[in-house]
Amino acid sequence: MGVLADVYEMLNTCNKCGGCHTACKTYKLTGSEEMSTRGRIQLIKAVADGKLEPNEEYEDAIMSCLLCGECAVTCPNGVHGNELVMAARRDLKLRKGIKPFAKSFALKTLASPKRLGMGFRLFGGMGKSVLNKIDGLDYFRGIDIKNFPTAKKPFLEQVPEKIKVQNPKHKVGFYVGCFLNHSLDQTAHSVVKVLTKNDCEVIIPKDQVCCGLPQYCYGDYETAKTNARKTIDTFLDKYSDAEVVLTACASCGSMLRHDYLKLFADEPSYLPKVKLFCDKVVEFSEYMAKIGVDQSKLHNSSPLTVTYHDPCHMVRGLKATKQPRELLQMIPRVDYKEMFEANRCCGAAGLIQAFYHEVSTDITDQKTQNIKDTNADLVATSCPACMLRLQGGINKAGQKQKVMHVADVMANAYED
Amino acid sequence: MLSQAVVKRLKEIVGEKNVVTDKVGLLTYGYDGTLLSGEALGVVSPTTTEQVVEIVKLMNEQDIKLVPRGAGTNESGGTIPSEKSVVISFTKMTKIHEIDTENFVAVVEPGVINFDLQVELAKKNFYFPPDPSSFKASTIGGNLGECSGGPKCFKYGVTRDYMLGLEVVLPNGKVIQTGGRNFQSEPGYDLTRIIVGSEGILGLVTKVFVRILPIPRAKKTMLALYDKVEDASQTVADIVAAGIIPTTLELMDNLLINTTEDFTHAGLPRDAGAVLIIEVDGYPEDMDGQVKTIGEIASKIAKEFKVAQTAVEVDQIWTSRRSAFGSVARVRPSYGVNDITVPRSNFPKAIGGVLKVAKDFGVTIGVVAHAGDGNLHPLILFDQRNKEETETVHAAEQALCMMALDLEGTISGEHGIGLVKKKYLDKEFTPAAMEAFRKIKRSFDPSNRFNPGKIIDL
Repeated sequence: MGVLADVYEMLNTCNKCGGCHTACKTYKLTGSEEMSTRGRIQLIKAVADGKLEPNEEYEDAIMSCLLCGECAVTCPNGVHGNELVMAARRDLKLRKGIKPFAKSFALKTLASPKRLGMGFRLFGGMGKSVLNKIDGLDYFRGIDIKNFPTAKKPFLEQVPEKIKVQNPKHKVGFYVGCFLNHSLDQTAHSVVKVLTKNDCEVIIPKDQVCCGLPQYCYGDYETAKTNARKTIDTFLDKYSDAEVVLTACASCGSMLRHDYLKLFADEPSYLPKVKLFCDKVVEFSEYMAKIGVDQSKLHNSSPLTVTYHDPCHMVRGLKATKQPRELLQMIPRVDYKEMFEANRCCGAAGLIQAFYHEVSTDITDQKTQNIKDTNADLVATSCPACMLRLQGGINKAGQKQKVMHVADVMANAYED
Repeated sequence: MLSQAVVKRLKEIVGEKNVVTDKVGLLTYGYDGTLLSGEALGVVSPTTTEQVVEIVKLMNEQDIKLVPRGAGTNESGGTIPSEKSVVISFTKMTKIHEIDTENFVAVVEPGVINFDLQVELAKKNFYFPPDPSSFKASTIGGNLGECSGGPKCFKYGVTRDYMLGLEVVLPNGKVIQTGGRNFQSEPGYDLTRIIVGSEGILGLVTKVFVRILPIPRAKKTMLALYDKVEDASQTVADIVAAGIIPTTLELMDNLLINTTEDFTHAGLPRDAGAVLIIEVDGYPEDMDGQVKTIGEIASKIAKEFKVAQTAVEVDQIWTSRRSAFGSVARVRPSYGVNDITVPRSNFPKAIGGVLKVAKDFGVTIGVVAHAGDGNLHPLILFDQRNKEETETVHAAEQALCMMALDLEGTISGEHGIGLVKKKYLDKEFTPAAMEAFRKIKRSFDPSNRFNPGKIIDL
């Protein structure tokens, strides 16, 4: 049974009541039992029991899970379907390795800062100019590739290692993350702006790497650990004067704060240092709400209707839902509207949008409709992957809303 | 295995994506909410009545049986594939054709999830009263196949009472419509009521005319707490004897209070022997009087009686109640659920009977009940991997059924007979009545093609 032995009791605790059906978007939108949490759990159990040899269809069932985590909060028995799928992915990795595309993209490219930077630059330059010449190729598997933003230069190369303020009240270590570094560099600048406007000195280590979440999600714990160790050592050894490790990406945040503990559970000698690091991790909105924002400095001249999308890793990972909403409503003339199912996955779900584009496109379309129903001008969120997915979905539907990070919305409210 | 030719024909009928024949797919359509499982030759998911007709004709030609299935949450094995069968899954027939608030009718496809219908109805200030605990997952087709109940059925009745008409594909491939949007029953036999609760052995329902009601203007939710489950059952009998009909009268014992509390943190007292959840609805001006009367009756025995003050509190109470079945694996991994039902006045005796069975057989039983209807769900907790324990559980289940029959009750209130309770059916009905069942089945389905082996053997 291998790694599945460790989760066998949890597999066996699913009594097939079907309560998770409502939580599972891939089931709701396909009506296929093997795309439901219950179905996936029963398949994993069949593999653990030796009744099913992992085949291609099994891999599809396991790899198409969004890992949104909604099933875990819905199960009356406390069965965490997402964790069982993670175990199954680890099991598959150990049995068969990882499929070539996922391997080259998620594991090798993301794990290496050089390759990643080069990839983004190539795409942003040559790639886009080629794409623009091909009619009808605006969307690749539901992903809005023509409008996919790429930073001209990585954010980390645009800024100094330390950004000082006149009367520093706090010292903040900024974990930028791949997306803000290479794609949405403007959002990274927004984070710095809001922090400095609130008397925070910002420390931005140049040698930071991918948090390891993509590798972890595909069962490659070895690469994930290498990156995790580098991240922990960088922030704790070289930049120990940073009071917190702040990230503006909910997915990175959830990985840094929670999954690192799981990843190093088998290394008791290193674990205390991991714990020390995890306790320092804070997401942007959490931090701003905690230190308090001076509302009188926020300006906004025209009325703005805003809605908020909870990224999976924000609502179920970091369990932070109030803070971003409070921050948005502090901005003058903002009319806040809650959308239906604000806390449900937008369909991005890492590489799912590329691998299982049919179902993820349906999920995004539903989300886009929910956004439209609020009549909002602007959608705020806390995860760069969600931002890109949502904006792509909105553009595809011919809607007008703009998607921004909470940090962008706030940064706009400060006078330069 | 299905032949390549049959698979090809099925794909022509419903499309490539809607036919499953691989091992992974078959495995996930082989189980339901029970401990049973089976494996079909294939799974086919039609999206129109015409496709259902074509599938039925093709299966008749090939002499292959059909097992209808909704969400597969049933508690009686009704959707477990039998030998040489194809599962016909209705989860992709999810259209709500019409919501007619003038005539209090909604027309839906069988795969519509009960909860999804409630959401659409609520936008028009209407609702569909039958709301089994599984309503967030289970389909209208499944609900009518099993004739599900739910917490509201004390006052409002079960699924049967809300079915106005059906479109049904018969085993010979012909389509009939029973009833319709008229409130008066149809002339001649009430065919709608023969199909409802027939667990898919007579016909395949492809369209449903359901009765809907305006949402009541006011409701109040109350909790009464007891030291012992027997005490709670006495309040139930007293409320019924006083001629009061609450919307719901639900009972949970100490075990269920604790397992659901682990999940919902609703604040139910973990040391209480039992809790009664009582809800009344109607006009706002009627609420206080009803609450007062019920409070007086309950307080004679209850150690505490309180009225929920906020909508959040009410939601939490209901989340607890609805997750009762799902939560018991926190104690033991397997459960056997019964849905024995007795006349209301015998409810306290039935509770006593359940406690006696638990003691006699040395098994752990959690009790949750739609107490107002006399419908009990004793959940026997065990570990299926332990063979000896499993056998004891089966014996205890039989004892529960016999106990209910002794109290002039029935072996199934709302979960259906399926495979799980088939062996007890002739204890409830005389040989002549059993033969009447068989004759009805044969007259619809002489070749025994639809859901064979469920409810009765021919």
